[in-house]
Amino acid sequence: MAVNAPMTRGQRISAFFYRHPWAKPALLMLPAVVWLVVVYLGSVGAMLRQSFWSLQEFTGALDKTFTLSTYEQLFDGANRDIIVRTVGLAATVTVLCAVLAFPLAYYMARFATPRMKTILYLAVLMPLWSSYLVRALSWRQILANEGMLLWLLRKLGIEGVVDVILQAPFLGGTSLISSRFSLVIVFTYLWLPFMVLPLETALERVPKSFVEASSDLGARPRLTFRRVIVPLAIPGLIAGSIFTFSLTMGDFILPNMFGSSELIVGQQVYVQQGVVGNDPLAAAFTFVAMVVMLVYLLLAKRAGAFEAL
Amino acid sequence: MSDERAGLGLRIAAFAVMGFLYIPLGVIVLYAFTTQSTSFTFPPPGLTTKWIGVAFGRSDMWEAFRLSLLVGAAATAVAVLLGGLLAAAVYRSTFFGRNALAFIVVLPIALPGIVTGIALQSTFNQFEIPFSTWTIGIGHTTFCIVIVYNNVVARLRRMSPNLVEASSDMGASGWQTFRWVIWPNLGTALLAGGILAFALSFDEIIVTTFTSGQQKTLPIWIFSELFRPRNRPVTNVVALFAIVITFVPVLVAQLLTRDPTEGGGAIMAGATTERSS
Amino acid sequence: MSRWIRVVALVGVLALVAAGCGSDDTSSETDGGGGTETAAPVGDPDSPPITEIGEGEGEVNIVAWAGYIEDGSTDENYDWVTQFESDTGCQVNVKTAGTSDEMVALMQEGSEYDLVTASGDASLRLVYGGTVQPINLDLIPSYDTVDERLQDAEWFTVDTNGNGEMEHYGVPYQWGSNVLMYSTDAFKDVTPDSWSVVFEEQKLPDGESNTGRVQAYDGAIYIADAALYLMATQPELGIEDPYALTRDQFDAALNLLRQQRELVGRYWHDAFVQMDDFVNGEAVASSSWPFQVNFIEGTGERFLSVVPKEGATGWADTTMMHTDAPHPNCAYEWLEWSLNPKLQGDLASWFGSVPAVPAACEGNELLGPDGCQINGIDNFEQIKFWKTPQADCFKGDGSTDCVPYLEWVTNYVAVIGGR
Repeated sequence: MAVNAPMTRGQRISAFFYRHPWAKPALLMLPAVVWLVVVYLGSVGAMLRQSFWSLQEFTGALDKTFTLSTYEQLFDGANRDIIVRTVGLAATVTVLCAVLAFPLAYYMARFATPRMKTILYLAVLMPLWSSYLVRALSWRQILANEGMLLWLLRKLGIEGVVDVILQAPFLGGTSLISSRFSLVIVFTYLWLPFMVLPLETALERVPKSFVEASSDLGARPRLTFRRVIVPLAIPGLIAGSIFTFSLTMGDFILPNMFGSSELIVGQQVYVQQGVVGNDPLAAAFTFVAMVVMLVYLLLAKRAGAFEAL
Repeated sequence: MSDERAGLGLRIAAFAVMGFLYIPLGVIVLYAFTTQSTSFTFPPPGLTTKWIGVAFGRSDMWEAFRLSLLVGAAATAVAVLLGGLLAAAVYRSTFFGRNALAFIVVLPIALPGIVTGIALQSTFNQFEIPFSTWTIGIGHTTFCIVIVYNNVVARLRRMSPNLVEASSDMGASGWQTFRWVIWPNLGTALLAGGILAFALSFDEIIVTTFTSGQQKTLPIWIFSELFRPRNRPVTNVVALFAIVITFVPVLVAQLLTRDPTEGGGAIMAGATTERSS
Repeated sequence: MSRWIRVVALVGVLALVAAGCGSDDTSSETDGGGGTETAAPVGDPDSPPITEIGEGEGEVNIVAWAGYIEDGSTDENYDWVTQFESDTGCQVNVKTAGTSDEMVALMQEGSEYDLVTASGDASLRLVYGGTVQPINLDLIPSYDTVDERLQDAEWFTVDTNGNGEMEHYGVPYQWGSNVLMYSTDAFKDVTPDSWSVVFEEQKLPDGESNTGRVQAYDGAIYIADAALYLMATQPELGIEDPYALTRDQFDAALNLLRQQRELVGRYWHDAFVQMDDFVNGEAVASSSWPFQVNFIEGTGERFLSVVPKEGATGWADTTMMHTDAPHPNCAYEWLEWSLNPKLQGDLASWFGSVPAVPAACEGNELLGPDGCQINGIDNFEQIKFWKTPQADCFKGDGSTDCVPYLEWVTNYVAVIGGR
């Protein structure tokens, strides 16, 4: 390349980016950043701003002076119940999803032939294409008192199992559909694919050499599993749980169909925003949901979950 | 990875979970053919195929279907562009605020949908933007960007940086490296991200409820149908139809992009983080 | 850790900056909602409403319950839109809402919609929030055909500017009463005659307790149903209007509801979910709407309904017009059309409600000669229609003796949650 030849336009552009290394990424990022920060974050910020306002009790008028009184309301018995109940539900669903997802993901990652893997992957993904509402509703047919599950159990003569479940302390109720048990099952079912997929990816990354080394060192398969494989899978578990958690917390449709009508955070936001017009309280609850998720995200990042993505 | 045989227990467990995933779908299929029209009982008193005709005869269903396809395609297209660019930028460079950005990017998915929905709705109101297909699209694009971004970043991380160096060592210009080395790798990741983004946009209801005006996407149509329980099996037929219709393109995409040794294909190329409804 | 502080700080700053850039004008939407300050801007009753209907604007946007505005696409026999569109040139665009909450939210957020079919628990909220405007009845010639008992009903006819004259904020559309729906599997051939079957623990004719087999509406307005029951069982409380409750009366109602919580399997929110629950044996008695009773699929007489001796609450929907309706002329055309007897009858048949225009009960094919009876037209006197509880007990004098709706919601949510 002759040193003194004039640069072509292409070379000039390259040179510019070479001298100003920040320019290229800045340009690439700009549209997306504008979108996410201005549109999304701005909207969320504007909404959260309302949580520092309050609603006058008698007139229901919006009082825009800065106050923390709306947040104080969150500590009222009933509101506290809602928050605790929601977090508890989301945690239960997450754990159950993880437990169910593991065998499938493990099988897919380690033992399935390439063709089988493709089939299984598609099979896990396919339910997501069908309507979430219709899938949820089909569970009503399964869990109803005169529905499929009880029909099957009666045929097998073990319907007593249901009574045992209904006696359970946290999950029980008067009938399957109106018990928290059904809410847990349906949420677990709906979000299961979102747990399987990241978990599978994480498990795929476990190098075979690790497993071999572990058994070379004398560990039996179960110990290898516990000490080598599971810790390496944790980032995938956490990535999946981010979604089971956030999806459960924000849902306001399913608790109307299953469980015993106790509100969870998503519904409370929806209800308070409506006829009541208590936007500040709705915003405060939203803030709670955000805080829970942010804490979770921070912990997840610490545990390296984002490396699994 | 496949030279070991899984234990019987593991295989049973894996397929049991898969069965768990598909039983409700079986129920959907069953009740798409029941003769009952408002409430379902088990076992269904009879079977009929008439609901298929009824469902397909509903012009409002087709409109909702078309709208869902349109919004999904548009949101996915924009997301692929913006998300891809964003991933390319973040992956290679370090700059102030990069961590914060990576964090922000996950938010539309990590935060509950109702937050996104209400926040966007009040912004549209403040700026007096009328609710239309555009506003629905904006809502969907927001979380679609995240999905594409995640997929592309994951793929870029797995791509060895040596490839790029080797390419320019061999004399390729920036553009050539991009065209012949980077793009083929990115392509499958973009496709994977795009497919997932489309899937989620297609079935999304929570954000859409808040950002739509008169328009009905398919999930909203289904939701409103369920409110007036006449011809209930129609919603089952439509749900079934949605799976059948999307199965083929997804399968084709998978086969087209399959890596013969890994058996992966577009779907698996880092298709890890998803979000729904 | 300092890295994280930087991240969080950056995110926080960005959010605040972006939020701050939004306009500060959120006050225009959510005003009032129970206030009785006569100075409050309320749908501007002092400026004269439209005095004549001009040229149609080409379309009209309506927020309505699912099934209220049918154009034949669900069932070709039920279409009362196509003719309107060809007669007036106003294209009808419907946005369906599932709850009163949604309706209020939709109407308040911007002025995209012209009309809303508001139920009584939302209508006053819309009036006092300044969201809807008074209607000039001279422009609605058919208004005289509306059931006289509804024409000046208190959930949409109020004197908002204190000048002694009542303004009408809407046009009645349909009404219905809540009924006690029960399953004959559980009640055998006994007809329950009291709400006690859902409020008090007891053994039903089939020998089992009613615990866990009862349902109740999950909207806070249901507190009025409890109050209604107390009017009969605890007259010493002095309740006269189940929607105007003093603190003591309110607490008594809440106690009854807490007692009821033990009996309730689930609170119903959606009609079709409730129908499912009954058909599948989950529930055997509940407050309900004729809508469910008519459409529930059973074997003929399996599910029946009755208005118990204590009376019942009911709902009456009123079509109201937005203060800043973008298509006022088409909106007025629709308001007049909504009182068309054939529309009223067809709708009553479709929805299971009672027409606001009594003449619609005669000669309607779809409704049939007994349709109005079946849907409950004879129950009017026994019904206490929904209206949004106000702090001033509906007296308009700025007093605060009664419990406002805001508290109804918070307390009911707590009761359902087990507190």
